[in-house]
Amino acid sequence: MNQAILQFLKRFDFSFIGSMSAIFLVGVLNLYSATHSQSHEGLDSLYKSQIGWYLISLFTAIGISFLNPKTFERFAYFGYLTTLFLVLLVLLMGKVGMGAQRWLILGPIRMQPSEFMKMGLVLALARYFTKVYPERQLGFKDLIIPAIITAIPAVMVIVQPDLGTGMLLVFIFCLMIFYKRLKWKTIVSLGVIGLVSGVLMYNFGLREYQKKRIHTFIDPYEDAKGSGYNAIQSEIAIGSGRLFGKGFKNSSQASLNYLPENHTDFVFAIFNEEHGFFGSVFLVILYLVFFMRMIWLATSVQRFFDSVLIIGIMSIFFWHAFINMAMVSGLLPIVGIPLPLMSYGGSSMLTFGVGVGIATSISNSRNFFN
Amino acid sequence: MFGEEELVKIHKERATILSYIITAAFGLILSRLWYLQVYRGETLHNYSIQNRLRKEVVWAPRGLIYSRDDQLLVDNIPRFDAILTPQFLIDAEKTLGKLSKILNTDVSSIKQILKKNSNQAKYRPIIVKKNISFGELAQIETQNAELPGVSVDTFISREYTDKEIGAHLLGYISEISQVQLPKLRQRDKMDYRLGDFIGQFGIEEQLDRYLRGENGHEFVEVDARGRRKRYINTDNLFKGIEDEKPLSGMNVKLTIDRDMQLAAFNSLEGKVGGVIAIAIDSGEVLTMVSRPSFDPSQFSRGLTPEYWRSLVGNKEHPLRDRNIQEHFSPGSTFKAITGIAAFEKGEIDENTEVNCGGSFRLGRKVYHCWKKEGHGPTNLVKAIRESCNVYFQKAANRMDIDDLSYYAKHFGMGSRTGISLPREVSGLIPSKEWKKKRYGQEWQAGETLSCAIGQSYVLASTIQMAISYAAIANGGKIYRPYVVKDIYDTDGELIKTFTPELLSEIKLKNPKTLKYVREGLFQVVNNPKGTAFARRGQGILMAGKTGTSQVKSASADKVYQKCELMDYESRHHGLFVGFAPYDNPKIAAAAIVEHGCHGSSAATPVVEAVITQYMKKYHPEIYLQNLEKDKSIRDSWVKSLRAAAQPVTAPAPDSSDE
Repeated sequence: MNQAILQFLKRFDFSFIGSMSAIFLVGVLNLYSATHSQSHEGLDSLYKSQIGWYLISLFTAIGISFLNPKTFERFAYFGYLTTLFLVLLVLLMGKVGMGAQRWLILGPIRMQPSEFMKMGLVLALARYFTKVYPERQLGFKDLIIPAIITAIPAVMVIVQPDLGTGMLLVFIFCLMIFYKRLKWKTIVSLGVIGLVSGVLMYNFGLREYQKKRIHTFIDPYEDAKGSGYNAIQSEIAIGSGRLFGKGFKNSSQASLNYLPENHTDFVFAIFNEEHGFFGSVFLVILYLVFFMRMIWLATSVQRFFDSVLIIGIMSIFFWHAFINMAMVSGLLPIVGIPLPLMSYGGSSMLTFGVGVGIATSISNSRNFFN
Repeated sequence: MFGEEELVKIHKERATILSYIITAAFGLILSRLWYLQVYRGETLHNYSIQNRLRKEVVWAPRGLIYSRDDQLLVDNIPRFDAILTPQFLIDAEKTLGKLSKILNTDVSSIKQILKKNSNQAKYRPIIVKKNISFGELAQIETQNAELPGVSVDTFISREYTDKEIGAHLLGYISEISQVQLPKLRQRDKMDYRLGDFIGQFGIEEQLDRYLRGENGHEFVEVDARGRRKRYINTDNLFKGIEDEKPLSGMNVKLTIDRDMQLAAFNSLEGKVGGVIAIAIDSGEVLTMVSRPSFDPSQFSRGLTPEYWRSLVGNKEHPLRDRNIQEHFSPGSTFKAITGIAAFEKGEIDENTEVNCGGSFRLGRKVYHCWKKEGHGPTNLVKAIRESCNVYFQKAANRMDIDDLSYYAKHFGMGSRTGISLPREVSGLIPSKEWKKKRYGQEWQAGETLSCAIGQSYVLASTIQMAISYAAIANGGKIYRPYVVKDIYDTDGELIKTFTPELLSEIKLKNPKTLKYVREGLFQVVNNPKGTAFARRGQGILMAGKTGTSQVKSASADKVYQKCELMDYESRHHGLFVGFAPYDNPKIAAAAIVEHGCHGSSAATPVVEAVITQYMKKYHPEIYLQNLEKDKSIRDSWVKSLRAAAQPVTAPAPDSSDE
């Protein structure tokens, strides 16, 4: 019996859960540091509930890792439709927060279904690509149905309005079709179309505050109403960290309270201020290890569905991490995208846990059935 | 067809490219960080240490409040606080020593303030002294360089021109507290912040969304020593970050007359009570004063604990409004309604005579008239004039309580008048159904007798009494009372104007009903035997009714006890409700004086003062004519007295009503 457990533990792939825990550890310390001086706003105990969410996500990940990976394929569309339904529910009866409806309240639990929607989309796309000519290189025609699968939730999320998450769904879609061997020719023409529609979208489709963010991004110093303030203060925070940072709990920018959301979207700036360039290199490497391990897994599984699914999950977290870091450091306009495991937020953490659980389950099946 | 494993294999190339893309993406991030942290690191580091750009709220000037005669009632006046930011304190002893000298306090008390706030972040300024004088302000500003960490905060204080006069009507503003914040956000769907000011009472509360305006913000640069300076555009870093000017609140013009407020306030000197006056043909509230009162300016300045204690500890409850937020037994002032009901139901007419022997027995219970020896044969006019209980109780005995409440309700009682001020009470007009619901008991006939003279369950506020007497004067029309005439924006553009709103109108069947009730009310004031004759005033030709509201139900032997001999707490409230001029009614007013013992001596002079002020100011020609009429009335009763050849003096005021 002991032998069996030992055997099991040997074959159990701890790399994903380990990687998640390492980033979380950095994240929760940083969260504590960013909020410790804000007792008057009741933010100083956020790190405790973040730990709670981590534990929930950890158990979710471990639970899912025991599932047979075939389950994911079987329930792919079901998962997609369920999350789609939740997003619809938010649209109909969501709680208004920060001027947008993003939350769904179920008793004591507030959840943000658009977070789970990403996972639902990835499942559906993986399933679709596996069933329909899995060997073919994708052309325009092959994109129609996957594009519809993506567009329905994307539009619903954008009208919430949550432009950031909506765009994220589209980006995830892009990475997945790239992996599913989209023809280079098509990639180029899609790029052109994207550029044109982007311009059109900007002119007709964006709300005033969204436009303002883009303006602010293009030239934060030219913004009339002072919304470039956040971007500039964020840059000051990062820059003032220099090589080694000011040290734990020493962020002066955070205590100046210049950002109303320095515990969510702007934690990376605080991290940079306190730990400097070397700290960031360390953090980026942690993320990179996680992503590379995912890609490695995608190329070493036996079932094509698993492979596409892993790439999809990886792209969720990649986009989150990349967009957040880029926006905080002034490379992209400021959109509300949290940094996985670093920003405060339960739904986002739980999604990460589900992703890690799926990856572990798939990785384990490789070991167990070989 | 491909096998599953081949499928994975043919996608390996793309996976490899993906891993390059991802690595490149993070490489991009790291190079950006390198640019910010190493290449520009020194510059940005200096910014974070030396130059702190802070976004500060610029408070929107709150709208002003004017009286109907265009006098400024509520104003905004800048005041200054001395503040201290602990983060920038260098040599605490030296700085605090200097500061204490300027502010005329001792170092230890400043230290105490700092200690009390020591758990908050060090960059947060602490108010050391509120509302410093210009002298103190000048000293702090000139010695700025020697006082690192000390600065002056400007603050717009809400000042009320007439201080305590009309405080309950105007209300006050104060900071939103931690407890209120979530509730108010929920209620108004507004993104209030802790420390925002909001109207908490009266007009300030009711019209908050018009008065508040929209806050702006400005960016200030604070240097390492805590001295604030406007940023100077030396570096591109802050270029283009612009301030947003605040949007002033709207100005409000009330229906209230300032001179009448003053007259009302003075007439209540030394008394506990309230008075309200409304225009009969519109429902405009002309006066609304309650005493004791409070100084609303104190609230926006941040209440001192002493002042707060003096308000809360006062047994007379200065914060309570006596006109719309309190109700009481209307006492004899209710008899006019009983008279109308009985007349309309045909139970009495102008000739119906009742013999008042001083008491009325129903079953085993005896109901006393206030006059022990009785009024003798009494008709409606006399009954009102001399406030005979027995007459109205006999009349009520023929009626059902539901008939009585029908008329009371149609004359504006028993429900909120709908005045646009917060926390109005509804009063109470009982009915059989109400009693059943409330107590699960049947209505007793004896209760009708008590209700008929405005006691037992009947409750009303002065504003309700005022509109019901206005309805008696105007033929049964109930207007919604209102206090706001116009709202203007800061350019003087009219945004909103309020007009009279007719809520209901009761059509009385018998045209004689109001005629004889009014005649009775007129004689109350203008007939030597009337209960308010001694306090009739001059030139106003007032009609009205006195009343007392029993604080404690008195046993039979106590009914006749002299009120002044009782404990203060047990003395009756004195009431008076009236309208004027009798032959051309313009204004109705109601007053209550708590523990004032008598309507005539306590409350009538209050109403008289308000109405006299009104007539002099708004209808001077009628006032002059009425002075003449007063004279002829006096001549005629002097003549009639002489004819009777009896040396009769006017009844002593203090015993002239129940």
